[in-house]
Amino acid sequence: MLEVKNLKASIGGTEILRGLSLHINAGEVHAIMGPNGSGKSTFAQVIAGHSDYEVTDGTVEFNGKDLLELEPEERAREGIFLGFQYPVEIAGVNNAYLLKAAVNAKRKHQGLDEIDAFEFLKLAREKMALLGMDPKFLNRGVNEGFSGGEKKRNEILQMAMLEPSLAILDETDSGLDIDALRAVAEGVNALRTPDRAIVLVTHYQRLLDYIEPDYVHVLSEGRIVRSGDKSLALELEEKGYDWVREAANG
Amino acid sequence: MKSPALSIDALNKVVAAWPEDNLATSRRAALDQLRQDGIPGSREENWKYTDLSGAVAIANRWLEAGAEVPCAGIAAANDIVRNIDADWIVIDNGQIDAQALDATAIAGVEIKRHSSSSERLTPSGRLGDLNAALLRDGLRISIAASAELARPIGILIVDHSDSAATVSQIRVDIDLAANSSASFIEYHTSDGIAEIYANSVVNVTLGDGSRADYVRIQDRDRLHEQTGYQSFTVGRDAELRHCAFDFGGRLVRNDLVIDLANPGGNAEFAGLYLIGDGQHIDNHTRADHRAGPTESRQEYRGILTGKARGVWNGKAIVHEGADGTDAEQANHNLVLSKQAEIDAKPELEIYTDDVKCSHGTTVGQLDETALFYLRTRGLSRHDAKQVLTRAFAQAIVGKSPISSLHDFLADRIAGRLDQLMQETDA
Repeated sequence: MLEVKNLKASIGGTEILRGLSLHINAGEVHAIMGPNGSGKSTFAQVIAGHSDYEVTDGTVEFNGKDLLELEPEERAREGIFLGFQYPVEIAGVNNAYLLKAAVNAKRKHQGLDEIDAFEFLKLAREKMALLGMDPKFLNRGVNEGFSGGEKKRNEILQMAMLEPSLAILDETDSGLDIDALRAVAEGVNALRTPDRAIVLVTHYQRLLDYIEPDYVHVLSEGRIVRSGDKSLALELEEKGYDWVREAANG
Repeated sequence: MKSPALSIDALNKVVAAWPEDNLATSRRAALDQLRQDGIPGSREENWKYTDLSGAVAIANRWLEAGAEVPCAGIAAANDIVRNIDADWIVIDNGQIDAQALDATAIAGVEIKRHSSSSERLTPSGRLGDLNAALLRDGLRISIAASAELARPIGILIVDHSDSAATVSQIRVDIDLAANSSASFIEYHTSDGIAEIYANSVVNVTLGDGSRADYVRIQDRDRLHEQTGYQSFTVGRDAELRHCAFDFGGRLVRNDLVIDLANPGGNAEFAGLYLIGDGQHIDNHTRADHRAGPTESRQEYRGILTGKARGVWNGKAIVHEGADGTDAEQANHNLVLSKQAEIDAKPELEIYTDDVKCSHGTTVGQLDETALFYLRTRGLSRHDAKQVLTRAFAQAIVGKSPISSLHDFLADRIAGRLDQLMQETDA
């Protein structure tokens, strides 16, 4: 599904990703871990198409297409979803409006009619119930005045409505209390299907207790320095990131 | 730029030929004053950004050509009357249809023409004398004590000329008696290929315990110029909710003057200007707190594209003894092009101690982080920009006190933003 080869990217002339390669198949859950500044979030932003980052080398193929050629909105409509580490507050834009616009943008791309208003509401309410969200959030401004946990739930709600084929969740666990973490994890697990891949970008192992990854990758200085199964995350938790750095340098 | 020179001789000649009616004395007095004061020019601090020489040139051409009033009526006026629920009074090229007016019957409301009264016109702003000197007729709308009007009163000000430069003067005085409540829509529109300069004066007196909801919409053709003066005198425990929308016009100057001379007086006012290439919109507001406790809160917002020029000057004066005054001013601007220009100036003058005053002004572009966020949800860059600008404008619609206008305004804003964004993208 996603084939990243020797990806190099920089921001303001500083190279952050220094030859990252990664292969993800449908149905898999990958965790990308690493210390602060290792390039985890940059990777997520580059895949989503943030224009602040300049890709200087390497290729990214998504379902056979050259992803780097696509605008962020085209990537979204093709089935890529980025769950933001810091979801943006957009005052005055109704949450339901954005959800509907997003769903319809994708449907249009797929050659489908706009979603029926009743169908949309029913679907949104279902997904919100699953995430333990009050339906009132539909009528609030996007993330406007939401708590940290509410914002993250809202991200997962968007993901659930958009049904992406590849979801990249950037630090979705940060700022969550245990109840919110559980609700968010449940939401993500409900979307675990054989035709979908999920990438969890996380600093801590905690999230992986709730969403079990098939693969764990450790990122250091813009490269994947170690890959393994979920036991790698536990090992990291125990030994700390210095262990990886040393292993990488040695 | 000095004071633009109005041809007083031509004006004198025109007015001298008019019939000797009840307004003649007011006209002559205004003419004398105008001769003395002239038209405001850039040397006056309040007028330094807005050059009236174009408007005065239109006036001179019109006066020298004999001050003819072209045939009235534009199609857009019918749409407005049909689409907005209100009891409409139409002022067409500055003229009031006496017959139509006599047929307008609203419970609790008395409407009279100024020409039917011997009362002298009260002075009204720097361009009030120009208005009075050339006024054919005006309106006095009186709301009876304790009356509560179900429908808004609509004042539709329409100007049209295809042939020659044209000038119109509009004057409306509104009195709300004690404990009455009413809402008003003042709508300015114009069309035609000739140049037009319209100068309006609206004075509203809010009696004790009364409430006025007032929305001004200016949607003139982009060739036309307008100056508008509005004053509101707010009685004891009276409430004013005011909202102003500027979409059109080549050069528009709005003066909003609010006098809070009685305890418990409260004024909330907001405004929105959506302007593009070749447009100059100047909003000057002034709130005089002469007694305490009184409150004034204002928020104006602007969206500017192309070579648009915006001016916002918000002044609050807390006079001696107006203890317990609460004054708040905000002006936010979204500047979508490099060539657009905004001069934003909040002013506070405080002559007493026990006051709460605040002001804030921002000038910025669309938030790139928000744009990216929306794009990662599948919205095109164009759509994302539109969503964000509409949301910015919608905040003012939400403050508009006549809720039956909200859908109309939202549609008009969306339409105008579409136009502006196309110009910006091009």
